[in-house]
Amino acid sequence: MMIGKKPLIQVEDVSFQYLVNKDEKIPVLKNISFNIYPGEYVAIIGHNGSGKSTLSKHLNGILKPSQGEVLVNGMNTKEKRLLKRIRQEVGMVFQNPDNQLIATTVEDDVAFGLENTGVPMDEMESRIRFALDVVGMSEMSKRAPHHLSGGQKQRVAIAGIIAMMPKCLVLDEATSMLDTYGRKDILKVIRKLNDDGMAIITVTHHMSEVAEADRVIVIEGGNIVLQGTPREIFQKKAFLQNIQLDVPAASRIAELVHHNHANFNPEIIHSYEIVNEVKRLLKGGENEWR
Amino acid sequence: MASQFELTRNITIGQYIPTGSIIHKLDACFKLLSFTIMLIAIAICGTYFGNIVILAFSIALFMLSRIPIRYGLSGIKPAIPFVVILAILQLLFYGSVASGGTVLVKSGFILITTDSLRLVVVSAMRFVEIILISSVLTLSTSTTELTHGMERLLKPLKYIKFPVHEFSLIITIAIRFVPTFAMEMEKLMKAQASRGAEFGTGQWWRIVKRTKDMFPLIIPLFNSAMERAEDLILAMEARCYTPGEVRSNYKRYHIKVTDIMVLLFSILFSILILFYPFPY
Amino acid sequence: MAMKPILEIRDLEHVYMKNTPLEHRALSNVNMTINKGECIAIIGHTGSGKSTLIQHFNGLMTPQKGTVIVDGEDVLNSKIDIKALRRKVGLVFQNPESQLFERLIGDDIAYGPLKMGLPIKEVRDRVEWAMEMVGLPFDEMKDRPTYALSGGQKRKVALAGVLALQPEILVLDEPTAGLDPRSKIELLDRIKKLNRKENITIIFISHNLEEVTYMADRLYVMANGTNIIDGTPSEIFSNKNILKENNIGTPETVEILYLLQDAGFSIDSRQYEVDGVANQISSILQYFQEVRANGISV
Repeated sequence: MMIGKKPLIQVEDVSFQYLVNKDEKIPVLKNISFNIYPGEYVAIIGHNGSGKSTLSKHLNGILKPSQGEVLVNGMNTKEKRLLKRIRQEVGMVFQNPDNQLIATTVEDDVAFGLENTGVPMDEMESRIRFALDVVGMSEMSKRAPHHLSGGQKQRVAIAGIIAMMPKCLVLDEATSMLDTYGRKDILKVIRKLNDDGMAIITVTHHMSEVAEADRVIVIEGGNIVLQGTPREIFQKKAFLQNIQLDVPAASRIAELVHHNHANFNPEIIHSYEIVNEVKRLLKGGENEWR
Repeated sequence: MASQFELTRNITIGQYIPTGSIIHKLDACFKLLSFTIMLIAIAICGTYFGNIVILAFSIALFMLSRIPIRYGLSGIKPAIPFVVILAILQLLFYGSVASGGTVLVKSGFILITTDSLRLVVVSAMRFVEIILISSVLTLSTSTTELTHGMERLLKPLKYIKFPVHEFSLIITIAIRFVPTFAMEMEKLMKAQASRGAEFGTGQWWRIVKRTKDMFPLIIPLFNSAMERAEDLILAMEARCYTPGEVRSNYKRYHIKVTDIMVLLFSILFSILILFYPFPY
Repeated sequence: MAMKPILEIRDLEHVYMKNTPLEHRALSNVNMTINKGECIAIIGHTGSGKSTLIQHFNGLMTPQKGTVIVDGEDVLNSKIDIKALRRKVGLVFQNPESQLFERLIGDDIAYGPLKMGLPIKEVRDRVEWAMEMVGLPFDEMKDRPTYALSGGQKRKVALAGVLALQPEILVLDEPTAGLDPRSKIELLDRIKKLNRKENITIIFISHNLEEVTYMADRLYVMANGTNIIDGTPSEIFSNKNILKENNIGTPETVEILYLLQDAGFSIDSRQYEVDGVANQISSILQYFQEVRANGISV
């Protein structure tokens, strides 16, 4: 599918161990390899403690592999002098909305990364305006972070990354502390960014977010145990349940109906597809869904 | 009792009240400078008339800022008993120190002279003046403006190798997290009270017990502070922060004519107050 | 209903920073009647007043206007024993794992009962009961350090810490926020059991409509500081207009039913469980198959 394109991020045989003390190491990641291509939307899923968050922190050099390499646009994250450029290419938003805004107003916070990379003042202003516009927070540019809701804070955090114009945005469980409404706002923003060509890597255990992705990587016990499109992944319901993950209701319903009516497509993952499938069967039920 | 645990929502001191007045629009840097000059004037001026002028001026400032004056006064209220006691003590015992002027009362060890009376009245006036002008400053200037203003005032210190930018970043982060921790503290107090905890009760001399009562607050608060610090470091790193490196600065300042005028005015005003020969 | 309500809220109002330019009306005209043994969900957007409301249930906040009556007793009554009230109404805040402060699990859970001044034997019994209720084996876990636990387990410890007070009403602010699917379901089932087996009245705030349909006997919808509507989940979710007018959102399964309805199929909007929806779709297909088999054109 991505033949001919140069990968944006190459994860090559990466292992990672936490050092407890001199003799004791806890392995978190085991020989993981995959590529991320420009403009892709990839979901990394796994239950708490599966290693998915540790993996994501390797993508911009916050953590460095114990063995193996991570290359961002050909730059190795192990090279300290390249880190700044790597982080300009791969931005990251974290889990807790309260702990990642640095400044006392929204616009000052968005400026933080630009100040660090020495963006000239005139450009800064237009970039901040652009970034806040993308996430729909322009009207709150003078607000203090503690007057914002969790979802709004996360949108500001995303704006802080967008302003740096990275090629890829990594969301490290960025929606897990938000309510349904806040999460929906974030998903909308991500969709828009991806449509405009930014690569998205979302690390999550929310299956509704997974359905949005082009590709899913399932992590369990520090290994990649499953990889494919959301449709392919959701077919393995028993397997997912076994590793403490959930599937969307549409997918579960499709499977149940499929049991009674073999013609009903069990690979459905979106609500609207159910209705289309019912209509399709009523028009000419003899056709196989394949 | 209803507000026993309300740390964040009922505090007015230090709150920014945007009214969009001329005072609000002034540059924080100049506001801070003028404020400092005024403070010096208040500290030195020891005459009745001088202080009446300053007091009138402070009230005028409040009206200019269009902030209800009771905000400034609400800052004074809790201190009144303290001020009154201090005034009485000064009145009773300062006669021998400030023994100039005419003796007004002399009975036993009590000696009140015109000078000591003036000292007492002037200190009380000073107190009110200071509260009023610092209220105008904080109520009309957001914390961000204040930190940026402070950073610019400190800028010359760069030449003696003082890390101005790091210093102001630390101040900014500290200010940024004050409400966060206040909210967290409030939540913890409520959560522990829901489990039967009591705070600030019991006899004050049982220090050990009262300190122990604080553990259910202090320990979780400390844990969360460490957690937040770790998260914050990651977030800063992810946005290319490298300590000690040159950064550009987002804020641009246009010094306006009014800013300069205000500064000049406060210098002039202070000189006038200090050197004008007020009769009393 | 002839039953005596265990919690009654009448015309409750709360204004933050009253008489200042920063005045903010958090609650107005809130009315609720909750009976013993019910499992009640409160839903609504951020800022709709839910969190302020539940703090009135155990006297952390007292009514500025209106009344809160717990088990027949007005919380504004000057003679009320506030500590007893807080034991009767156990309040579990959002992310309660952050409030753990003792080194060992058992000690942290024992904090409440010890503060009550109960004899050690009784404290021990209560801790054992509370741990069992949340699914932490007493002998194995009581002497383990709290810091080594996973997020989901820490939350169970915090819940046990409130349960050890043996409350009659358990109030939870978003009990499953941030948990992964497995821990979520487990915690919900534990809470359900407390409700069904121990007859503890449950009131919980949630944003997750699937969770609400799974748990609640009844739900209250809050908006702009007031409760705009209440009813059983099937009453609320089977009424498309109510959902739309009040901007509640729809659980995924309900959404599927309404999509089918919009496409011209007749559905029963009260059968919105996964099985129910699947059965309805199956019978739609079945019906048309039979019709077709009988040679009637559709």
